[in-house]
Amino acid sequence: MFGSNKPKGGMSIIIVGCGKVGSALVERLSGEGHNITIIDKDSAKIQALTNMYDVMGVNGNGASYNVQVEAGIDTADLFIAVTDSDELNLLCCTVAKREGKCVTIARVHTPEYSKEAAFLKDKLGLEMIINPEYEAAKVMSRTLSLPMAEEVSSFAHGQVEMIKIRIPEGNKLDGLKVMDLGRDVTSNVVICAVERGGEVFIPSGQFILRGGDLISFVATRKDARGFLSKIGFKSGAIKDALIVGGGKDSYYLAELLIRAGVQVSIIERDTDKCETLSIMLPKAVIINDDGTNEEVLKEAGLESTQAFIPLTGIDEENIILSMYAKQVSSAKVITRIARNNFRSIVNNLDLGSVIFPKYIVSEAIVAYVRAKKNSMDCNIETLYHIFGSRAEAIEFIVENETAVTGKKLSQIKLKNDLRIAYIRRKNTIIFPGGEDEIKVGDAVMIVTTHTGFKDIQDILQ
Amino acid sequence: MNNSMIRIIIGHIMKIEAAFLLLPCIVALIYGEKEGFVYLAVAAGTALGGFILGLKKAEDKTLFLKEGCVTTALSWIVMSIIGALPFYITGEIPNYLDACFETVSGFTTTGSSILNDIESLSHASLFWRSGTHWIGGMGVLVFLLSIVSLSGGSTINLMKAESPGPSVGKLVPKIKASARYLYLIYAAMTFIEAVLLMLGGCPIFDSITLAFGTAGTGGFAIRGDSVAGYSAYVQWVITIFMILFGVNFNVYYYMLIRHIKDALKIEEVRYYLLVILSSIVIIFINVRNMFDSVGDAIRHTSFTVASIITTTGFATVDFDTWNTTCKIIIVMLMFIGACAGSTGGGIKVSRFVIIAKTIRKEINSYIHPRSIKKIIYDGKPAEHVMIRSVNVYMATYILILSISILLVSFEGEDLVTTVTSVITCFNNIGPGLNKLGPTCNFSFLGGFTKLVLMFDMLAGRLELFPLVMLFNPKLLKELLITKRRPVSKTK
Repeated sequence: MFGSNKPKGGMSIIIVGCGKVGSALVERLSGEGHNITIIDKDSAKIQALTNMYDVMGVNGNGASYNVQVEAGIDTADLFIAVTDSDELNLLCCTVAKREGKCVTIARVHTPEYSKEAAFLKDKLGLEMIINPEYEAAKVMSRTLSLPMAEEVSSFAHGQVEMIKIRIPEGNKLDGLKVMDLGRDVTSNVVICAVERGGEVFIPSGQFILRGGDLISFVATRKDARGFLSKIGFKSGAIKDALIVGGGKDSYYLAELLIRAGVQVSIIERDTDKCETLSIMLPKAVIINDDGTNEEVLKEAGLESTQAFIPLTGIDEENIILSMYAKQVSSAKVITRIARNNFRSIVNNLDLGSVIFPKYIVSEAIVAYVRAKKNSMDCNIETLYHIFGSRAEAIEFIVENETAVTGKKLSQIKLKNDLRIAYIRRKNTIIFPGGEDEIKVGDAVMIVTTHTGFKDIQDILQ
Repeated sequence: MNNSMIRIIIGHIMKIEAAFLLLPCIVALIYGEKEGFVYLAVAAGTALGGFILGLKKAEDKTLFLKEGCVTTALSWIVMSIIGALPFYITGEIPNYLDACFETVSGFTTTGSSILNDIESLSHASLFWRSGTHWIGGMGVLVFLLSIVSLSGGSTINLMKAESPGPSVGKLVPKIKASARYLYLIYAAMTFIEAVLLMLGGCPIFDSITLAFGTAGTGGFAIRGDSVAGYSAYVQWVITIFMILFGVNFNVYYYMLIRHIKDALKIEEVRYYLLVILSSIVIIFINVRNMFDSVGDAIRHTSFTVASIITTTGFATVDFDTWNTTCKIIIVMLMFIGACAGSTGGGIKVSRFVIIAKTIRKEINSYIHPRSIKKIIYDGKPAEHVMIRSVNVYMATYILILSISILLVSFEGEDLVTTVTSVITCFNNIGPGLNKLGPTCNFSFLGGFTKLVLMFDMLAGRLELFPLVMLFNPKLLKELLITKRRPVSKTK
C-alpha cells in the first residue's frame, strides 16, 4: 500500500504550514530523502525553505482544493497540516482525505479539541493528531518525576527509560571503568553515551567515567531508580512546582502534574487567561501578576519551590528566568526553547533541563513516517536523536536470519562508537552481555554516533 | 564564499564535458578521421583535471545564491575554454580566440560563426560544434543536477542561476528528479526531430546535427548555406521544432502527467504563439512578391520568424534583402526571444507580458490615483519581488547593450552592422543584418570586438547577473584572495 509503486525515492509528503514545527519537519524529512511539497500562505516563508532544502513550494491556502491539487494531493502518501490554526489544520486534512488516498496528520493544540482527539481522529479519518504543547508537557512532567535527571525519555512502550544525569565530582561513578559497573554497582544498567567537554562518546568497557560527565543510561523504570539511589542520587518526586506563563503548554503541564499529586502555582499576567485557567485547573494556584518580576517570583515562593518552569512566549525571557532561578533557589529548572537558533550558546548556559518542543513533535512524526516506510526498505522501528543530534538511538526489528543473528555477541565484531543498549524479546527486556545473542523477531536498540543506519547489519564492522 | 564547493562543482562539470567530448571521437571513428585522437586527448586531459579538482572534499556543502551564480558563470567560462581546444589543436580554427568565439557561440546557443568554409571541417568537429548547442541549450549544471545528488537543498541556487526566466520553479519536489524530467523531455524531443528529419530523406549525420542545433535553439548548421539547401519538408520540420523548443518546458511536463488544464494556464505560451503568428502575417504581406509561390513565401516567412524568435538563427533565405518593415520586425523578435524555461534566449516573452501588465497598471494609477490593482500572472497575483526583478533586468539589459554597442563601434563598421552584432549575440540568435546577415559571418571582426561579443553571449545566456556579478570587486576578492576564515569557537 504505502508507496509500493515507488521503491526508492521516499514518500511523497505534503506539509501545510511553514512555522516552527513545519520547518523542523521539512529539515528532518527532507534529510531522509522524501519528496516534500510545502504549502503556506506566506510566500516569503516558502522562499526561505525552498532555498534551504530540496523541496517544492506552493503558495496558497492549504485547505483549498485547487492548491492541494497543485501540490499533488492525488499522488501524495502523507499529508501533514501544522499551521497555527487547529480549525484550518482539520479542514486541510478533511479536504485531503476526500481527494487523495493519503495518510493525514493534523496538529491540534487547543485544549478543547485535544480532549476530543480520539473523536476527531475517528470521525474525520485522521491517522494521527499531534499536539506539540502536550507532547512537550509530557516530556517536562517525565523529567520532573525524576528531578535529579537532566532528561528522561521512554522507549519500548514505556518499559525502558533513557536517563541523562551529570556525575558529580567524587561520586561513586567518578573514576569507575564502565566494565566494572556491573561488579561494583549494578548490572541492569547500560551506559550508552557520555558527553565530556562538548564531545559525545559511546563508551567501551575500558572507558573511565569522570566527575562532570553527562551520561545517558538505559534501564527499566524500576532498575533506573534503584541505580540512581545506589550512586547516591536522592530520588523522590517533587511536591510543588511554579510555572510562569499561562499558555497552552502551561495548562497541559499543570494538568499532568496535578494528576501526579504535585501542588502547582501558575503566574500569568493576563486576567482573562487567569480566569480561564482557574476554571480548567481548580486545584492549581493561579497568580495574576507579572512573572518576570523578581518580587512577584519571591512572593510566589521561588526560593522554596522544588521545580520552576518558565513558559512565557519569549525564549529570551525564559532563559533569563531560568538563570535567575538557578541563582536564587535549588529548584529543578526546566527551560523550554521554541526557536533553535544559537543552540551552541544555549548548551553552554546553566539552564537546567532544556527542551525543544518543535523537535519533540517532529521526532514523533518522523518516527511515524519511518514506521510507515518500514515495509519498504529499512527495518528501523524508531530513531531518536540524543545529545542534540550528535548521537542516535535506533531500534531495529530483526526480521530475517542475518550475519548478526544466532551468534553470541562476544563473537560479533561491532563497529566502534556503537553500543547495543537492549534487546526486547516479546515483552522482556534484556540488557545484553557477551553471552547473549540476537534472535529473529527481536527488537534491538543501539546507540551510536554514526549516522545513516538502515539495517541491523549496519552495526557490523 | 564557499570556494571548495565551487571547485568541486567545476570539477564535476569538467568530467561531464569530458564525457561529451568522447562523442566526437565515436564520430571520427565512423568516418575514419584522425581528428578523433585530438578529441580523445582533450577528453582525457579534461577528465583528469576534473578528478584533480574533485579530490579534496568540501567540509561545508551549502551553496548560497551568490555561490550558485559564481559557480554557474565560472563553469560556463571553463567549459568554453576547454571546448575550444579541439578546434585549435586540430588546426581547423588556427586562432585560439576564434575557436573560443565559436565555442562560446555554441554553448550559449547563439550560432554566430567565424568560419568562412564550414564544409571543410571534419565530421568530428562539425558534430562537436553542433553538440555544444545541445549541451548549452538545457544547461550543463541542470545536467549535473540530474545525475549527481549534491547534498543539501541549496542546489536550487545552481538551477536558478542557469535556467532562463524571471522565476524558477521545480516540476517535482526533488531537484534531481526535476532536472531529470527536463533532460528526458529534451532528449526525447531531440530524438523525435532527428527521426522525422531522417524520414524526410535527410542524411543521418545532417539530421542529428540539425536536431542538436534546433533543440538547443542554437543555429549552427553543417553547410555554408545554413538550411537553405534542404528540402521543404526538412525546413518545415525544423520550423515546427524550433517553435516547440521555444515553449516553456513546464507545458510538456504538464502534458506528460496529463494536466492539460495546467499546461493551458501558462499565459506566456499563448502570447508567444500570438507574436509568432502576427509576425508571420505581417512579414508575409511584405515579402509575398519576392517568392514564386505562396507556399514558398509562407514557408520562408514562418521559418525565419520561428528561427529568430526562438533565437535559433538558422536561415533559409537571406532576410537581409527584405524591406525595412520586415527587418525591424526581425530585430524586435530578436529582443522578445522565446519563453522562460525553454532553451531559447532573448529577453523572454514572460518578461514582456509582465512589463505590459505593469505599464497598464501604471496608466490606471494615473486615472485612479488611489486605486489598488495587483498584477495577475498565470492566474496568480505576481510577487512584487518578481516585478522588481523584471524591471531591474530590463534596465541592466539596456545598460549592457548600450555599453557593448559603444565598445563594438570602435571596430569602425556601419551602424546597422554594429548594432545588430551586439543584439544578435546578446540575445543568442546568430545572424545579424547588413555585413553580418545570414549569408555572412563574424570572422572579419577584431579580437577586442570578439571578446566583447563573447561576453555578451555568455551574459545573455546566463541572464546577465551571474556573469555581471563576477565584476563585483568584493566578491572577486572573496573568490580569489580571502580564504574561508576558521570558525571561531564560542567558549
